[in-house]
Amino acid sequence: MKEVVFAGFGGQGVLTAGLVLAQIALFNDKKATWIPEYGAAMRGGTSNCTVKYDPEEVGSPGQEEPDLVMALNNPSFTKFVNIVKPGGYMLVNSDLVTVDTDLRDDITVLKIPGSTISDGLGSSKALNIVMVGAMIKAMGDFTKEEAIAGMNDMFAKKGKNDFEMQNVRAFEAGYEAV
Amino acid sequence: MGDMVKGNVAMGEAAIRAGMHMYAGYPITPSTEIMEYLSWRAPQEDRVFIQAESEMAAMKMVYGAAATGARVLTASSGLGISCKQEGVSYMNMAQYPGVMINVVRYGDGLGSLMSGQTDYLREVKGAGNGDARMIVLSPSSVQEAYDLVYEAFDISQKYKSLVMILTEGGLGQMMEECEYSEMKTVPFASWGYTGDRSKDEYRPMGMGADVYAHALEMAAKRVTIKEEMQRWESGFLDDAEYVMLGYGLPGRAIKSYVKARRAEGEKIGYIRPISLWPFPEKAFKGINPGVKGFISVETSDDGGMVEDVALYGKKYGSGFEKVPVYGLFCPPGIPTLRFIGEKFEDIKSGKMKEVF
Repeated sequence: MKEVVFAGFGGQGVLTAGLVLAQIALFNDKKATWIPEYGAAMRGGTSNCTVKYDPEEVGSPGQEEPDLVMALNNPSFTKFVNIVKPGGYMLVNSDLVTVDTDLRDDITVLKIPGSTISDGLGSSKALNIVMVGAMIKAMGDFTKEEAIAGMNDMFAKKGKNDFEMQNVRAFEAGYEAV
Repeated sequence: MGDMVKGNVAMGEAAIRAGMHMYAGYPITPSTEIMEYLSWRAPQEDRVFIQAESEMAAMKMVYGAAATGARVLTASSGLGISCKQEGVSYMNMAQYPGVMINVVRYGDGLGSLMSGQTDYLREVKGAGNGDARMIVLSPSSVQEAYDLVYEAFDISQKYKSLVMILTEGGLGQMMEECEYSEMKTVPFASWGYTGDRSKDEYRPMGMGADVYAHALEMAAKRVTIKEEMQRWESGFLDDAEYVMLGYGLPGRAIKSYVKARRAEGEKIGYIRPISLWPFPEKAFKGINPGVKGFISVETSDDGGMVEDVALYGKKYGSGFEKVPVYGLFCPPGIPTLRFIGEKFEDIKSGKMKEVF
């Protein structure tokens, strides 16, 4: 069973990023759960969701000990760095995570300039998909082709085929950055 | 392959596909997406959707619509269901079918926004004033939430009883794979009021002249429901030294925990009740006679189901009356396997004492 936490500012697309991973898992015959942190949320505050996937079944959907945390801003990094599983990954958007990331020697911090990459592709909104590409590469559970097929299937069902090329480019850019 | 669907959305769609005619409700976190979804979906299928001025009004609207033979639904959370109790009791007295969903938020009074299972005692032990019970079903996954709501309307009509889907904030808010079943088109029940006085049969508002007959009829109905409606999932019971019991999210958590510990040789089993009333007492029949303890795993201050575990656990098997019953009460939120594991060690070492 794998656990991934997606965290960032509201509006950075972390809930959608988590859903993309969950749909990729389903598309590739795995079971998956997605659960947001809900409760008293504050405008401008942080937002996060937890995705778990497994070939057989997922027990509790809640946050426990993530194999990877995607942190898109400083508060997210600080909040989650201590719950990453030993041997796991902290995947950070190095354009916005400026705090000291050298806090644990039992995890790997992957620094991806996600904002720079997405701006370079012409859309700052593509940040979450760039980071999903990097996450898929780091986790190593799905090939690039398997993941892109799952992602495209999800957006096609939402009637967003028009953005398919942009999404694929963003995904590939993130994937290659790891 | 199904797609990722939010629990609340799946339950709303299940009601539509089960032939629900009418929904009335009042929004409250964490159940709101059910009515938000139905506000969009019900008109598409030519069903009635009403956002009532209060929880009480919503329940009375549902009561009135049920009197016409319509398939009715209301959904809320914690305190919202408290407000509905008068209507619940009236529907029980009239033996009108209807489906309710409680997406539980943790706590009493206004409660909190955290997920929890703190409404067990109200839903399972009572249904307003009188002796009435509701059939209470609790899902552990989004697919099961969909399936139970889809079936609940038929169960409700079969037994002329309210059916309560007792779920949790966490399940309402989470997404998981869900496949939808076929759309049913269901006519209004033939016994419903039509508004045509020449055709409608007079039915008294109260129990009628023969209260004794009503009492016997209700008692007999509950015996039938107890016999026919017990549902559960279980595993590894025949040689279990400890048996964990949990419903809803703790139910899936213990199943996962037990499987993992079994792989390490720990003799532990699980029962995941799906029906909470009637409580699945038949599940105890296959348990190892040498079992050392029953453990009720609940997201609750100090437990609700633990009382039923004690009551029914001690009813079955030789020597079960001496088996200690423990309460493994998870804090507000989503239960974690780590917490369950730590508390299980406390039980085995004797650090945690039994409740019963």
